[in-house]
Amino acid sequence: MTTSVGDLSTAAGVQAAFRERGYITDGSLATAVFLALQLGRPLLLEGEAGVGKTELAKVLASSLGARLIRLQCYEGLDVNTAVYEWNYPRQMLEIRLLEARGAAEQATAHDIFGPEFLIKRPLLQALESTDGTPPVLLIDEIDRADEEFEAYLLEILSDFQVTVPEIGTIKAEHPPRVILTSNRTREVHDALKRRCLYHWIDYPTQEKEYEIVLARVPTAPEMLARRVVQFVHRLRAVDLTKVPGIAETLDWAAALLSLGATELTPQVVDETLGVVLKYEEDIRHVRGARVRELLAETPASR
Amino acid sequence: MSEAGATRQVDGRKLFGRAVGFGRALRKSGLGVDLAAAIDFARALEIVDIGDRNQVRAAGEAVFVRRKDDLPPYHATFDAYWRGRLDLGAEALLEDPWQELIPDDQGQPGAEPPLAGDERIEAGEDQSGMPLPGDHDESAEEGDPDALSISPDAYSKMEALRHREFDRMTPAELRDAERLVDLLVPKLERRRTRRYELHPHGRRIAPRAMFRSNLGTGGEILRWVWRRPVKRPRPLVVICDISGSMERHSRLLLRFVQALAAQSTVHTESFVFGTRLTRVTRLLRDRDRDRALARVADSVTDWAGGTRIGESFHEFNTKWARRTLRTSGVVIVVSDGWDRGDPALVAVEAARLRRNCHRLVWLNPLAGTAGYQPLAAGMRAAFPYIDDFLAAGTVASLERLGEVLAGARAADVRRGSEAAAHVPPVPPEELAPMLPAILPTTPDDPNAPKRIA
Repeated sequence: MTTSVGDLSTAAGVQAAFRERGYITDGSLATAVFLALQLGRPLLLEGEAGVGKTELAKVLASSLGARLIRLQCYEGLDVNTAVYEWNYPRQMLEIRLLEARGAAEQATAHDIFGPEFLIKRPLLQALESTDGTPPVLLIDEIDRADEEFEAYLLEILSDFQVTVPEIGTIKAEHPPRVILTSNRTREVHDALKRRCLYHWIDYPTQEKEYEIVLARVPTAPEMLARRVVQFVHRLRAVDLTKVPGIAETLDWAAALLSLGATELTPQVVDETLGVVLKYEEDIRHVRGARVRELLAETPASR
Repeated sequence: MSEAGATRQVDGRKLFGRAVGFGRALRKSGLGVDLAAAIDFARALEIVDIGDRNQVRAAGEAVFVRRKDDLPPYHATFDAYWRGRLDLGAEALLEDPWQELIPDDQGQPGAEPPLAGDERIEAGEDQSGMPLPGDHDESAEEGDPDALSISPDAYSKMEALRHREFDRMTPAELRDAERLVDLLVPKLERRRTRRYELHPHGRRIAPRAMFRSNLGTGGEILRWVWRRPVKRPRPLVVICDISGSMERHSRLLLRFVQALAAQSTVHTESFVFGTRLTRVTRLLRDRDRDRALARVADSVTDWAGGTRIGESFHEFNTKWARRTLRTSGVVIVVSDGWDRGDPALVAVEAARLRRNCHRLVWLNPLAGTAGYQPLAAGMRAAFPYIDDFLAAGTVASLERLGEVLAGARAADVRRGSEAAAHVPPVPPEELAPMLPAILPTTPDDPNAPKRIA
């Protein structure tokens, strides 16, 4: 991984900077990222699990030389955990201290609702960042949050500001670069989509995935990498509950490597199938005869 | 990158006009494009290399496309709209492709290209008006613009007949379905969410609110503030068999789902199946309920094609279960269980469906008849995995469904093979006065409950 900041002023520059960091994109994703940067809009990435949505945010942060602030969404995520919270114990202590000093009479609300009592959660951190480079804000798996939270995001994503009643409106000096990801366990609301640019990340072509494996698992022999990618691609055509993503391909390549396997044999595949397939039905469906069939379809060399 | 394309002076107004024009073409093919997206696209065209077709395509994709299903119509429209123009260079991009594409539009051949301002107004009107029927939902549903143009003539006479029967709904049926909603909504079983609300009867302390309300006493807690989890009705997924004699029962339930979606906050999803599964959720959202049902009928291409329960469930499990259920939903299947496919597949897929949802309810119109046994192959295969097995087709039986959805697990509603024996036939004296309209109109229908004299 390089530490230098990439040149992201063109779509091709984005693609090159990402490639340098081991993230292989196609032109349309690079263009979407480029446009999101240029237009100052959030980018909503959808795609099956394990196609590199979260990874893109990390690579983008590294390419920009910016800090990555990540907010993992879950049901019931609320303002207090996502944006800010008052530090109650400290406020209590402060009141007691003021009382002990006999200064409670003169104290104003300002004394206990000052910034030092504010706990900044990821969204506020992203807006308040002051180190010159706007951070990359990753709002991960937005589909897991509930609709109330989505509605709350609308203000932040369109105006890049939040309102804390006791302090006032905090507006970002340098709006963060926002990446949202969704696994589509439900549809994200249209109002939110309207504020974002959108890109659907599909499974890569065989050639591209081969490049990804080489970039990510550099110690893998080229032959093995090619065989693994070919096998996974054939596997994706099989009717499965959960089709393996790129993450699974990479895990598998790494697993095979650490087992010292240099060639895909039916036995090796059977033993390591759990790295690629995560459903019992799928494993049962593929193991044994099907594996041999898939391996036989795969020519030993291309 | 060719510098010429990116830096050349382009006429901003023309560019904007083209962007809006393209946006409008996309609207015609069913994408939910608004003027803001067109403006974004115009801005994007200024910063990408407009001599590079792929970049323009990708830019439009990032701006206009908002869901995966929009991708095929987007690319089709892109190809049609910019056909050949980008290859000819940026000059040609600014020519007006609109004229040849939509001849009835304001661009007369030979006339000046329309001013951007005019287009803006027009597009704005488009935006504020109601979406027109027929140019919106189907393509989003099918993802393939060609699929819309199945002409009604393609149906055989008999299919057309069935079709007509499906979207015809008597006023009485309609009233009953809506009445049922009033009856049901307050009773629906609620699921505890992970979100909290302040409530005096809550069982957990709400620290933030409590601290604020006790500030006046200098941090001494004198008033307690409580919170409790918010409860929401579970999402409801309805999977309706529309083959053969089932359509009448399915129609009643779809009508019910329509009313439910319109009147409450319950998330509903609807699917119909014969030989294959079709998602009709968006079609049912049409405010004109009759038109919605008519469009459901239109969207289904396999009337009278027999039933394949296993395949349809399989499609639901792989394509839709994760997106619609999130394991907390209730699934209602309406089918008589007559299946042309492999019963083993039905069993496997029903088991999977059961694992994917909170509760699996099966409505079978035959179950109301006395002494019914689940002998149909598909029904027997799915039976062990059903939580609640109920009769269908009458409002009385749907009221029973209401109780089940409210979380009641009465003695006569049991999982597995015991269930059938415990489904009581609807007492005739209750049935006869209530629902003349829903009782079968065709006396020779073998599957229909017997009409009581």
